[in-house]
Amino acid sequence: MTTLDTTSVTPAASPSSGAGSRARHRGAGMPTVASPRRSTGRFLASLALVLVGLSFLVPLAWILLSSVDPAATVSVGVPSSVTADNFKAVFTKDQTFLPLWNSLVISLGTALITVVVGVLAAYPLSRYRMRFQRGFLYTILFATCLPITAIMVPVYSLFVKLSLLDSTPGVILFLSASSLPMAIWMLKNFMDSVPVSLEEAAWVDGASSMRALGRIVLPLMRPGLAVVLMLVFTQAWGNFFVPFILTTSAEKQPAAVAIYQFFGTYGSIAYGKLAAFSILYSVPVLVLYLLTQRLSGGANALAGGMKG
Amino acid sequence: MRVRTGLALGTVGALVATLAACSSDDGSKDAQDTGTRTITVAYQKTASFHQLDDLLQKVKPEFEKANPGVTVKLEPIEAEEDQYYTKLALMNGSKSTAPDVIYEDTFQVMSDAAAGYLLPIDDYVKKWSDWDQFQDAAKQAGLGVDGKTYGVSMGTDTRGIYFNKDIFTKAGLPTDWQPKTWDDILAAARTVKAKVPGVTPLNIYAGKAGGEQTTMQGFEMLDYGTGDGKGLHDGDKWLTGSQGFVDSLSFYKTVYSEKLGPSLDVALDASVGSKVATELFPKGKLAIGIDGSWQPGGWISGDNKWPGWEKAMGYAAMPTQTGQAPGTTSMSGGWLLSVGAHTKHPQTAFDFVSTALNKDNSLTYDTTNSQIAVRKDVAADPAYLSYNPSFKFFSGLVATTHFRPATPDYSQISSNIQVAVESVATGQASPEDAAKKYDEELEKIVGKDAVSAAG
Amino acid sequence: MATEIFVAPTGRGRRPRPGSRRLRALTRSTPLVPAVVLLAVFLLGPILWALYGSMTNTGLTGYRAAKPEFVGLDNYTALLSDGDFWKSAWLTVVFVFASAVVGQNVLGMALAVLLRIAPKTLASVVSTLVVVAWVMPEIVAAFALYAFFSTDGTLNAFLGCFGLDKTTWLITFPLLSVILANIWRGTAFSMMVYRAALSEVPAEVDEAAQIDGATGWQRFSRITLPMIRRSISTNLMLTTLQTLAVFTLIWVMTGGGPGTASSTLPVLAYQEAFKFSQVGYGTAIATVTILVGAVFSVIYIKVLKPEVD
Repeated sequence: MTTLDTTSVTPAASPSSGAGSRARHRGAGMPTVASPRRSTGRFLASLALVLVGLSFLVPLAWILLSSVDPAATVSVGVPSSVTADNFKAVFTKDQTFLPLWNSLVISLGTALITVVVGVLAAYPLSRYRMRFQRGFLYTILFATCLPITAIMVPVYSLFVKLSLLDSTPGVILFLSASSLPMAIWMLKNFMDSVPVSLEEAAWVDGASSMRALGRIVLPLMRPGLAVVLMLVFTQAWGNFFVPFILTTSAEKQPAAVAIYQFFGTYGSIAYGKLAAFSILYSVPVLVLYLLTQRLSGGANALAGGMKG
Repeated sequence: MRVRTGLALGTVGALVATLAACSSDDGSKDAQDTGTRTITVAYQKTASFHQLDDLLQKVKPEFEKANPGVTVKLEPIEAEEDQYYTKLALMNGSKSTAPDVIYEDTFQVMSDAAAGYLLPIDDYVKKWSDWDQFQDAAKQAGLGVDGKTYGVSMGTDTRGIYFNKDIFTKAGLPTDWQPKTWDDILAAARTVKAKVPGVTPLNIYAGKAGGEQTTMQGFEMLDYGTGDGKGLHDGDKWLTGSQGFVDSLSFYKTVYSEKLGPSLDVALDASVGSKVATELFPKGKLAIGIDGSWQPGGWISGDNKWPGWEKAMGYAAMPTQTGQAPGTTSMSGGWLLSVGAHTKHPQTAFDFVSTALNKDNSLTYDTTNSQIAVRKDVAADPAYLSYNPSFKFFSGLVATTHFRPATPDYSQISSNIQVAVESVATGQASPEDAAKKYDEELEKIVGKDAVSAAG
Repeated sequence: MATEIFVAPTGRGRRPRPGSRRLRALTRSTPLVPAVVLLAVFLLGPILWALYGSMTNTGLTGYRAAKPEFVGLDNYTALLSDGDFWKSAWLTVVFVFASAVVGQNVLGMALAVLLRIAPKTLASVVSTLVVVAWVMPEIVAAFALYAFFSTDGTLNAFLGCFGLDKTTWLITFPLLSVILANIWRGTAFSMMVYRAALSEVPAEVDEAAQIDGATGWQRFSRITLPMIRRSISTNLMLTTLQTLAVFTLIWVMTGGGPGTASSTLPVLAYQEAFKFSQVGYGTAIATVTILVGAVFSVIYIKVLKPEVD
């Protein structure tokens, strides 16, 4: 899921928000007049939210509780004693650290390539009017929506032909290409909201457009860059199906695949270890998400970022 | 615009073609068996199957020491059977990822040889003095359709019934039980269900995710005991419209609709095999299980050691449907070590195979993994004979055993059998409908000319 | 046409001399090249390859792995007469409709509205939980949900408190289980989109209607919803397409089973190709899936007419 939800994040907002100019946030629409009906409403709303929150919490709590439970089962429950054994057991190079390292290499590689290539592509699209611009942007938008993971079968066949199977760069390039349409679209929108007038001064001073991009535009769209980096990194980090099909040797497999194998082999026996491994694997992206939120300011940063 | 699009498409096409062309350079023909070289060994490892891993971990340093310059890269694929084949096929799909030595199921050998994944090793075995030690049937098991040898047998196996004597005693059933017909099995299972609550009466593999174990330990143990024991294939034709096929599925229907089998969430899970071996039997949760002769291997040593197995477990031969001659049936398969077709170091890879399967190593493997030895010197070794009390029983089943059809289509047909079995076990199809669908798929796979109506 | 080739960014005074136009056009589009190459090889490539591959009988093993033959449209004609394919197509429709169109959208909208009314702390706790379910790696989410729906899992333990018998959710109601799972997993997206959309609705409009005596529901359905309809249709389209591609969740939870009871098109394509060894046939299914996606994309672009200039 991660791949595609995030892939499609951009157009969600951008088409309706026309280059982000309307992305002003109203004061969250807080009630201005207090009334008895309002407070009943508030109470019911809170109750409903508590219920929804609980149903989202329970599966997550299972992971947390099982990871410290010496006798974890598939059912959520307060462990009779708390242990760190599950974590100790998965704290091995082959089991955990190598796959996490591979995930890091793949995700970081994908995020950097996507953002660099995306920024380069977004710049002319944002700053110039070119003959093929409309066509290109429509194509990008179209590609953003395609269910790419649904075609892993032909991707596998193609990778066989290109001799790219079991190659980390191959996985990185494929993941970059599949997140690129989203990234270009988002970056273009972020870039559109940086006023051109600032660059013009630089142009007058004789700076090249690439210099203007690097010195003036990019620093001004740092929050946007952070959001795109975070999204691409997160989707690459969480992607299972792509490396599952495209990597074969154990030492190149990212955590998603390693954890799946662990589940297939020992899953029915070792839920505690599975949960511990899951936490080690999830924490980096959760932390990254929080950081990005901080960095871009405001609780609603991600949504805001999507709005361009 | 149109021109540009055409041009762009053309460019991409050319690019793809160029890249594809680059990749089809075949470097594998210039064999290099001296100097620094690495061979990759791909094999299966699961929670209940660690013996091969143990063996290869032991052989690796020995082999590297004896062959300076060689690095053996062990590539255990941690997956249950079905996913193991998929992963292996994915690796074999590309020259760059194809392993040099492959742990290969005998039923896959024809199909993988036809696909060009395996290297014929006739020239190498000819020069191997130990080759004479291998029984003819074992040599046969490594042959491709073209009659060439594609693998060295590690051992064979048979299948029969395991039952838990403690549960049987509680249910008032004899501990020297030997069912004479399918109905006897069902009757015993019903007795267990009635008298010993909380225990699964009977396990017969039924899930698609279980892969070949569902076909072989499950369906074929029934099907080859129907009628005259022809099973799926006769002469060079695959059989359609077989009553035995329907009857076998009906057995499943009885087991799963009367809830004599494990609950479906267990039965259909890919890990059911491991669960039976490491949990259900050792914890006394399963009364009767139709399973392979290798099971005690995992109980004698390893992570899931079960010291009480000898006392608790009883064995019985699988009866034919109505007790018709020859009275019992079994299925035999086994695994091979093969050399990958794309290896750059064929001699080194073969040397690794021959080292891994020399007398001592075969003995280790056949004993720890409860294999029926296929090397004459191992079979006669006192250490082998005395290792495991179940050997005698399961070796005896060889007399009425069957082998799976040796054709390259078998693996695909087997998948369709699993589909039929699962659809009946889950109640999604009647045995007749599932059998009909199997017939249709069969014809699609092998063609009209290769099927004939069962008599 | 020619004047349209490049119009300099607003307000730029220097007009390029005619001779340097072509050069300038080239220079300016150069930064697009890496993107175009990546997209061409790794996105367009597989799609073109799928079109070709779906017209062969390539196998994963056996003779057809070594020497696949071109079979024209045979795979597609076989597909049309294959009961499993139609069943799978139907399951995909139900899965997408129930989990994305209804589930994620309605719950996402409900959450977006409730979060505005509820106390701030509660709102931020709940929205964090919902977002965590979405940010977390999909395979971990799939395990958590597998455990939740297992026979001995949390759901049955909870229902057991009310004296209800254990249900084998993943076997008896596989499709329902994966639908609920996908709602759990994906609602955050709709929630965020709608939250952002609602925050753009001017508070004055709502207040004016309130003074006119409109009830909360009337204000929401007659004023707020129409105002954010673009976000709604965009979100509907996107969640549909995301859900069309869901594989891991279903694969881990039910493996597409029992039988084919939860095999949506991506799962079916995987199984046909890698379990039944019919890579060509599986590719045909993948091609159909991407075609469905493409049709949705086109509709989306046509209906919403996004501003691409």
